[in-house]
Amino acid sequence: MLEGLNSAAAGMAAQQQRLDATANDLANANTNGYKRMRVGFRDLVYTQAGRPAADGVRIGAGSAAIDAGRGFSQGTARETGEPLDVAIQGDGFLRVRTPDGGVGLTRDGALQVDGNRRVTTASGALLQPPLTIPESVSLEDVKIDADGTVRAGEQRLGRIEVVNVRAPQGLQSIGDNLFAPTATSGQPTGAPAATKLVQGSLEGSNVNVSDAMVGMIEAQRSFELASRAIKTADQMMEIANGVKR
Amino acid sequence: MDRGLYLAASGMLAEQVRQDQIANDLANASTPGYKADRTAQSAFGELMLSNRVTGQQVGSQSTAVQVDEIETDFSPQPARETGEPLDFAIVGEGFFAVQTDGGTRYTRNGQFTANAEGLLVTAQGDPVLGPGGQTIRVGAGGQVDPRRLGVVTLNNPRKDGDSLVAGTPGGGTRGQVRAGALETSGADAARSMVDMIASLRAFEAGQRVIQTIDESLGKAANTVGTLNG
Repeated sequence: MLEGLNSAAAGMAAQQQRLDATANDLANANTNGYKRMRVGFRDLVYTQAGRPAADGVRIGAGSAAIDAGRGFSQGTARETGEPLDVAIQGDGFLRVRTPDGGVGLTRDGALQVDGNRRVTTASGALLQPPLTIPESVSLEDVKIDADGTVRAGEQRLGRIEVVNVRAPQGLQSIGDNLFAPTATSGQPTGAPAATKLVQGSLEGSNVNVSDAMVGMIEAQRSFELASRAIKTADQMMEIANGVKR
Repeated sequence: MDRGLYLAASGMLAEQVRQDQIANDLANASTPGYKADRTAQSAFGELMLSNRVTGQQVGSQSTAVQVDEIETDFSPQPARETGEPLDFAIVGEGFFAVQTDGGTRYTRNGQFTANAEGLLVTAQGDPVLGPGGQTIRVGAGGQVDPRRLGVVTLNNPRKDGDSLVAGTPGGGTRGQVRAGALETSGADAARSMVDMIASLRAFEAGQRVIQTIDESLGKAANTVGTLNG
């Protein structure tokens, strides 16, 4: 009786998931290289209903949220003037070694040097392939070309490699602004030639705050609507109980 | 007299089905490409009533009501800009074709993604098909030209769950595919709420009819024939 109760509850759970994703997006509206979440919805199975169950009478079981990965559109670049800040223009990621030794990909180009003058991300993950700025070279003299070549005057220090995966939507977010490649995303390979590095600027978050706010309002109202269906189903059961006084 | 009891009860059962359908619509108020349903009910088993003394006919009476069909309104809904390169909307009639384990299915929910082989797939991982039934490769920069997606019009489309629709391809004018947009849900919150209230009250009325008949039966059983009634 009253499958609608469950359908509406499924709809509320789906909206809750979207709200969680939107909250995460808003919290990261100022995170360098953050990519917004893509949450989708689908309807659920349709089964015959009514008494007697007729072929044309099929009722759905509500909705579910689906994780469609991330939206990888370019975030707006911001000038910082810092010599080790790089913004990636186009597709691709910087490759780093995660603290547990795995492969991490990031678009957060706020690089720095650690105590051993090795180049790391802001969270301390080492750049791969490793790049060391010698003690003799001042960071202000470091020049990073569009193709990633790192120079100090005439001296070539190394190269920042930009890699890409075949299906970025399949990347797994592992925190600290890092993504890990998965079987769905494919392994990292060289980035397309069109991808450029821009020294002295950082890529901002691609979250559009006004879109996120509108999405949040929509999620809240849809949640409310589904809750009304639950309330009505409850009232109907109360009425059914009142048949026998 | 007791026929009315069953008649009222069948009406209440029909309203329950309608409530379930409305709850599903409301749960899918944000599902891209969702199509709203409408519950149609009809009377069945009409009886001709006649005067027992004269034999004159006094009209017909229904023995029950039933939900005989849930119709889906497949008319196109407006598209909403999302800016995501792999979101697609069909402006006009038609469906995207999708290769599923159970054969070719169709959908208007164009929230697609790319898989490890570089193919355009639905969020469920089923490949999206081009006009000739071929799979579609996602191009450089994660983009797909919207003209490479096939649009199919269907005869007798029927919802199959997971945003998919089953049906047989038919003729007619096909819509245009637009990238970076999604079709909004066809569930109309205002209409669903009004239907829900109307259905609730009809359900309540059914309950009152049963109570009233019960009262009359109670009178017949207990009051008629008693001396001090």
